[in-house]
Amino acid sequence: MALVKGKLPECDGAPRDLSTLLGALASPESAVRRNAVRDLKLYPDSAEALCAQLQDETSPSVRAALFSTLIHLQSPHVAVRLAEFLRSDDVQLRNGAIEALQEMPDAIAPHLQVLLGDADSDVRIFAVNILASLRHDQVPEWLAEVIRTDAHVNVCAAAIDGLAEVGGPEVVKDLEALRLRFAGDAFMDFAITTAIRRIGSE
Amino acid sequence: MNAVSSMIDTEGLPAITAAEYAKFCEFFYRKTGIQYQVNKKYYVDRRIAERIQQTKSESFRDYFTMLRFEASGEELQVLINSLTVNETYFFREDYQFDALVTGILPALAKQKRRGDPIRIWSVPCSSGEEPYSIAINILERWDQSDSWNIEIHASDIDSKILAQARAGRFCERSVGRVSPQLLSKYFKPKIAGEYQICDELRSSIEFSLVNVVDPVQTRRYRDIDIVFCRNMLIYFDDAGRRETMEMFYECLAPGGFICLGHSESMSRMSSTFLPRKFKDVIVYQKPGEQE
Repeated sequence: MALVKGKLPECDGAPRDLSTLLGALASPESAVRRNAVRDLKLYPDSAEALCAQLQDETSPSVRAALFSTLIHLQSPHVAVRLAEFLRSDDVQLRNGAIEALQEMPDAIAPHLQVLLGDADSDVRIFAVNILASLRHDQVPEWLAEVIRTDAHVNVCAAAIDGLAEVGGPEVVKDLEALRLRFAGDAFMDFAITTAIRRIGSE
Repeated sequence: MNAVSSMIDTEGLPAITAAEYAKFCEFFYRKTGIQYQVNKKYYVDRRIAERIQQTKSESFRDYFTMLRFEASGEELQVLINSLTVNETYFFREDYQFDALVTGILPALAKQKRRGDPIRIWSVPCSSGEEPYSIAINILERWDQSDSWNIEIHASDIDSKILAQARAGRFCERSVGRVSPQLLSKYFKPKIAGEYQICDELRSSIEFSLVNVVDPVQTRRYRDIDIVFCRNMLIYFDDAGRRETMEMFYECLAPGGFICLGHSESMSRMSSTFLPRKFKDVIVYQKPGEQE
């Protein structure tokens, strides 16, 4: 025995049709579902079914494949559907949605204002987390808008973190104004000083 | 003066604008998963410009049109060959080969049925040093190697380097870490400055041209027990890395392992693999049947 030259099976390269793949999403086998999810990258019309699947899917590897396929098929509609999971109590689902939304700047950008105005401060914090890592040239201005307008200290703190990474000298006056707004809050004072120092040193 | 000669750089090669570069990078990323940033523009520009000249294209636009629409994909393959980096040598990052023979293979031997093959996939295999190093390490250092059928599959996106791997001829620098004893055992005597790997090893490895972002090309790779994918994902962006990890997840048998390069960490690519430590080496394992 020892080394032998192995032959892998030849595979049919033809893609499966949409209805076959959608049917496979109901399979009890996670490998079958995962395989179908990966092949659905070819079908933008499957996005809604994939979002629905995400709600009920329990297998981590199928979930990971769902997020990847949805990133591939990204659209404003997919972004809105994924943003719904920011309210989920399932931490993995919520974090997966945040990471996926960070990968689709153009799709989520139109919806960010809605998320930043959400009544739930946790949703606004997640929106700031998404915003801070988007590859979009308006990010510093959007984050500055958050610290100018949001009343919640934790939302503003999340925005300061983002500005420390991507902000320029033009946001320093907004950071100083925020310091006055939360005067007496030692953490905010420290975070603002750190952010201004980082912005100034770059 | 025609359109080409009005746009040449100081070395006489066709110049490529920033917009053309961005367009090319987007196309190349979709085809290969390899991403080039602005800081690689000089490197990429030179290679595209050489291909524009060699294909006698009138301009970048002409060349790019050919690249996109050529049915055979031949020019794309030539360009891939010219852009990919193939720097490697025998026993590179050998602590992983230690983990292979002292930890991974014994663990697999416990979970596999006798008679089933152990399947190893080296991708990208470059000029062959990695799959041949795997083979030598197994034969020399795993005491159960004679009890198993071990298949080594080796793939690369670069057809030229793959031909070199199949040929199995290596320069002095490439075999610098191979002991004289192993050189005499697994290589033919040096001819014209090159070491030729022995026919037994050469014929036991299955080489194939594979683009890891092409689902049709990777579909054949199933029930793999160990993947060596080292120093490739550093050229991919986050989305490309994640999709490649999902492809490997699909290819691996339950309980299979993946070995990444020393600067690559799974934590930023996928949460579906489990880290396993063998001595000081961290590798990643696909969970077993029950997920």
